[in-house]
Amino acid sequence: MRTFTRILTLLLACMMLAVISPAMAEEQSVTINFWHHYSAQSAENETLMNVLIPAFEAENPGIKVNAVSHEWAELHDKVLVSANSNALPDVARCDIAWLPEFQKMGILVALDEEMPDFTDVSGQLLDSAMSTAVIGGHYYALALNTNSKIVFYNTAMLEAAGVKVPTTMDEWTEAIKKLSGENANGQQVWGWNEPALAGWNICPFIWSFGGSLTNEDQTAATGYINSPETVKAIETFAGLVKAGGITGFNAGDIPMTDGFGTGRYAMMLEGPWKSAELAGAYPDVAYGTAPIPAGEGGSISVLGGEDIAMFNTANREAAWKFMQFMTSEYAETEMAKCGQIPVNKAALESDTVKAADYAPFIEAIQTAKARPTVAAWSEMDNELQVAMNAVVTGEKTAQEAMDELAASWDILLK
Amino acid sequence: MKSKNAAKIRAAVIRYLLLALGTVIFTLPMIYMISTSLRPNGALYEYPPRFFPRWEALTLENYDYILHQSKFYLNFLNSAIVSVSTIVAAALVGSAMAFVLGKFKSKGTRLLFAFIIITMIIPGTTMIVPQFELATRLGMVNQLWGLIPFYVAWVIPFSTFMIKGFMENIPGEIMEAAWIDGADVWTVYSKIAMPLASPAIASVSIFNFLTAWEEYPWANTVINDNSKRTLPIAIAGFFGQHQFTQWGYVFAMSVLTLIPVVLIFILCQKFFVQGLTAGSVKG
Amino acid sequence: MITKSRINRAQITGLLLPGLLIFGMFTVYPIIRLFWMSLCDMSFSSMLIQPFAGIMNYREVFHDSTFWTVFVNSIVYTLVTVPGQMALGLFIAILLNGIRRFSVTFRVINYLPVVTSWVIASLVFRYIFNTEGMLNYFLWKMLGITSGNIRWLDTRWSGLSVAMILGIWKGIGWNMVIFLAALQQVPQDLYEAAEIDGCGAWKKFVNVTLPAIRGTILFALIELTIGGFNVFTSIKMITGGKPAHQTDTLLTWMYYKAFSTGKFGYAAALSFVMALSLGLLAIVQFRMMRNRDA
Repeated sequence: MRTFTRILTLLLACMMLAVISPAMAEEQSVTINFWHHYSAQSAENETLMNVLIPAFEAENPGIKVNAVSHEWAELHDKVLVSANSNALPDVARCDIAWLPEFQKMGILVALDEEMPDFTDVSGQLLDSAMSTAVIGGHYYALALNTNSKIVFYNTAMLEAAGVKVPTTMDEWTEAIKKLSGENANGQQVWGWNEPALAGWNICPFIWSFGGSLTNEDQTAATGYINSPETVKAIETFAGLVKAGGITGFNAGDIPMTDGFGTGRYAMMLEGPWKSAELAGAYPDVAYGTAPIPAGEGGSISVLGGEDIAMFNTANREAAWKFMQFMTSEYAETEMAKCGQIPVNKAALESDTVKAADYAPFIEAIQTAKARPTVAAWSEMDNELQVAMNAVVTGEKTAQEAMDELAASWDILLK
Repeated sequence: MKSKNAAKIRAAVIRYLLLALGTVIFTLPMIYMISTSLRPNGALYEYPPRFFPRWEALTLENYDYILHQSKFYLNFLNSAIVSVSTIVAAALVGSAMAFVLGKFKSKGTRLLFAFIIITMIIPGTTMIVPQFELATRLGMVNQLWGLIPFYVAWVIPFSTFMIKGFMENIPGEIMEAAWIDGADVWTVYSKIAMPLASPAIASVSIFNFLTAWEEYPWANTVINDNSKRTLPIAIAGFFGQHQFTQWGYVFAMSVLTLIPVVLIFILCQKFFVQGLTAGSVKG
Repeated sequence: MITKSRINRAQITGLLLPGLLIFGMFTVYPIIRLFWMSLCDMSFSSMLIQPFAGIMNYREVFHDSTFWTVFVNSIVYTLVTVPGQMALGLFIAILLNGIRRFSVTFRVINYLPVVTSWVIASLVFRYIFNTEGMLNYFLWKMLGITSGNIRWLDTRWSGLSVAMILGIWKGIGWNMVIFLAALQQVPQDLYEAAEIDGCGAWKKFVNVTLPAIRGTILFALIELTIGGFNVFTSIKMITGGKPAHQTDTLLTWMYYKAFSTGKFGYAAALSFVMALSLGLLAIVQFRMMRNRDA
């Protein structure tokens, strides 16, 4: 027993040392905490950890970067929760849809007010992308990357079914019906994959069908989210789900990339990062891309992208340096190699970016619309998912569900 | 008499058959997990699915990745630091409380003990909101050591309860003799009661180790940095991306996480059973 | 006790103090705080400044249809998994009690699921019950019991069923060990007396075994009921509450409200309601078993 106690004491002492010593070593340099949602095993994360951060730290001795990866939805929640626990990072890569909410909480730094060289820095970035960071006349972030979704289709499956790449929503509906069914192994095959029922997934259909979510001022939803066009989009989508043409949002479904790579999903609407992902995981699958099929409202995809924002607890000087670095030509070009479309004007002109063939995405961005830029969007998005679930399971009709949603959104938008 | 023997043998055979069937059901998920961790990620959606991978497809690439590419060692060390600190602290604090509550009976100590036991009715996770607020105020968010006091507080009622039963069974004469020799309370606790109760402390410690080793909700709530994550959050983090899940990595890491637990369990299973039964038969 | 004077009060307090401090600060204080928070209006931006709001949070909880969904889910989960684990655990304990060889081996293997962590076990079950997973292939293509893939994880009751199967699978070992210990303490002469009275195996079980292990049954019942309401990790890992919170339980919903929407007051009120009902339930269970005794 005595030896046991001694060993334990020793062990404990070692551990204490292990815990305390890094804390003491940190004092000589500044550490920037950077939160992001590049997935842990992605090419983007590799580039960040092995190329960009070492380069930044070499350029700026005395500044260390502690990069923390969170899952997309979790990053949003963690930022909100950390707001009051003095655990906010210095800098975060935020979905453009989150900025209004964070700004309303008062945790973001107004860059144009506090950074004297702001105009020089922002001048290097695309104006259209920078506009995602403007709230109430001030800039709260720098644009980091932009994107939109286009159709990825499995060439062999479309050929086998004798289906042309759909260009209108009617053709799209027909194509999905023809592509769905069983493959040679007797496994079920779906024409379309949609990995969730959130705004990011459903908005392109609503807009392309000619519907909308709110009025122009983003102050009312009744008459927009429950307009005949919106309801028709939802009905068409739900009809295809019920007919076995669309899946992917259920807990038990094959994940999107796996299903597409193994020929179980014929088509999907995805962003520029998908090419790199497919090349890594399923290099053999032959696929093509096309714009989202046009409906009454045209071919309208959803505008995505991320901004890099500074929180008010940050070490401003170091954080600002890091933000400048991440939006520099060098960093943006490196990230462009793994599917992130740059917003840095110089990087956009570089050979790497031209070789990456982002043309179809950049074209989609021209007509793409942004999700509502309101502080309540996260809550609205959650309600949209609940309503969509009720429609695809047949619990409610599209009209009923959207009427209820409209009433509830009206209150949230006030 | 002969027919009775035959009936006995038949009954025994049925018992063994049922137990064997149960064993298969108990172990199948674990075996499937191990078999999945040994196949390449690309073969996960092969058709037809196989329970065991093809012999020539067996690979250690998932383990290689986990051991060399991920922060597995760091996560493992974090879990070890938290678990060991928790069991040491809980053993010291719990045995001291058990000693006082078990050996110095008064109205006050009885009431205190009852109060401690009653708090066991409230599931730990229900308190996560005020505990988070507390951690925030104390600056314990995103601190590895910050997990430890919460874990210790969680296991105190159970530890005290278990060790107290053992303390009560220490014969009064031994302590009597010590008092007469002029020992004080502290000496009696550290030199007599604690060594005598060490079997109970050991068995409690195993349970406490498991609690801390596998704890997920709290650690996931307060820890942010990748380098401070414990094993359960690291595993869950692998799973997070809903675009595609690398089950091979997830299960390779799971197997590596389970090895120490299963080893400890098999080596100490005697203590385990002792600990469990002491609580239930008395209750 | 002549030596009583030597028993130093200060030292006794000294021994109690560290434990009481930790316990008081990290368990008792949060319980009290929980009640206070449930009466406050809190959000992400006002987490540390909390205006008093009376019973507003409680009203919101009881008027929330999702609360009732998850409440029913938790009750069903408990009603299914608690008797399930106890019956199967007791059954295996009885089987084990009658054999001599390999008893320890079986016991160790059957206990393995208990030491497997919730995160890992949940992920394994999720993988097995995937729509395209091994189980569906086995049931459909190999046994031919089903005529297609069952969408285990996709609907409210099937998703909960997977969590419940996991709960039972993981809990049997614990029940087995404590019931085995209880069975070994039942005096053998009671069985002999029953045999002389001409009781069969079933009658012996009902008339001798069950009354003799009643204390253990009560212990297991209370412990497992608390455990049933404490279900969190398995739901979060297996369905994540999908579809649309239909498979959430009390705690996963509480967690979602608190840490995803910032409704800390709502979450505190829900937690408090839950703790209160569990306390009442424990008292009722205790009384019931005691009454039968008299």
